[in-house]
Amino acid sequence: MEENQAINSESADKWEVQLRKGSLELAILAALWAGRLYGLEILRHLESGSDLVVSEGTVYPLLTRLRTLGLVESEWVESDSGHPRKYYSLTAAGRERALEMGRTWARFAASLNNLLTPLNGAVKKEKP
Amino acid sequence: MTLPETSQKAIDDYLAALRRQLRDLMEEDMNDIVEEIRAHILDKTTAGADPAQVVHTLAALGAPRELAARYCTEEMMRRAEAHRSNTQKARIAGRWTVGVLGGLVLLLVSAVGYSLGGFLIIIGIAKIMWPKGTGLWETNYPDGTWGLGLSGGSGNTPPANSHDLFGWWIYPIAFILGPAIIYGTYRLGRWTARKLWPARKKFNYAATEPQTEI
Repeated sequence: MEENQAINSESADKWEVQLRKGSLELAILAALWAGRLYGLEILRHLESGSDLVVSEGTVYPLLTRLRTLGLVESEWVESDSGHPRKYYSLTAAGRERALEMGRTWARFAASLNNLLTPLNGAVKKEKP
Repeated sequence: MTLPETSQKAIDDYLAALRRQLRDLMEEDMNDIVEEIRAHILDKTTAGADPAQVVHTLAALGAPRELAARYCTEEMMRRAEAHRSNTQKARIAGRWTVGVLGGLVLLLVSAVGYSLGGFLIIIGIAKIMWPKGTGLWETNYPDGTWGLGLSGGSGNTPPANSHDLFGWWIYPIAFILGPAIIYGTYRLGRWTARKLWPARKKFNYAATEPQTEI
């Protein structure tokens, strides 16, 4: 019994990690929608605007990939803190991709919510 | 901002280790990454610059080897995406080439097939109208030479010492083989066209309309 619970919990954790990982690209593009941000600002935006627990070592490599794909562009800007910061902003292709991913996400979430209707009662009961 | 010596050393050691782990990347990219991580560490350690805070910041980034591995994984994903895109382009170019060349061959074969079928039917009609002047003539000339000729029409008369190779067989050849060649050419054309330019399935946009606007 306890063994089964441990296996279920481990598998749920892995699934949640994959889910967060898969949605991170969209979350970053959405964070940049309003304007340019540097790495730490993006991290703080993600943490304050959601319960996403984002590893710092995950965001920077992902930003590098988004830049090489042409979805974001970066520039080094001198700051008052005494060291330059690398600011990221969306390119036209990045804005288009963000919109496209946002639509897909909304459609997917709506469909899945429909499927989850039978579980709603049980989930509400579990909430404190 | 001045950091305690131990903190500064910890940061320098971390960045040096990260640089070593990123040695497979181009130098420009490597420098860019290292400088960005340096800026991140400095941003997180501005207030007070407590050595424990530096340790915590470095730990949050993960070991240099792990962080470098993440950069390499993202780079591999990017390359895979670019490769996929190139493969798609090559496949489309190949499909176009096959389509164009196949179209030219089909045009040639169709032209020959329809012309031959039509020609045979015309010969058959000419044979009905001018039976004595239409046929495939084999001629033995007085000088011992031999010739073969096709004629058809009211003004044509076969040369002397000639006889019609097909005779009345010209009718089944003209009225069965001729239409058969035309029909065969038509079927072959349709089949080839379907293979070369398969019809795309119509996409049901209504079924994929987003149910929720963002």
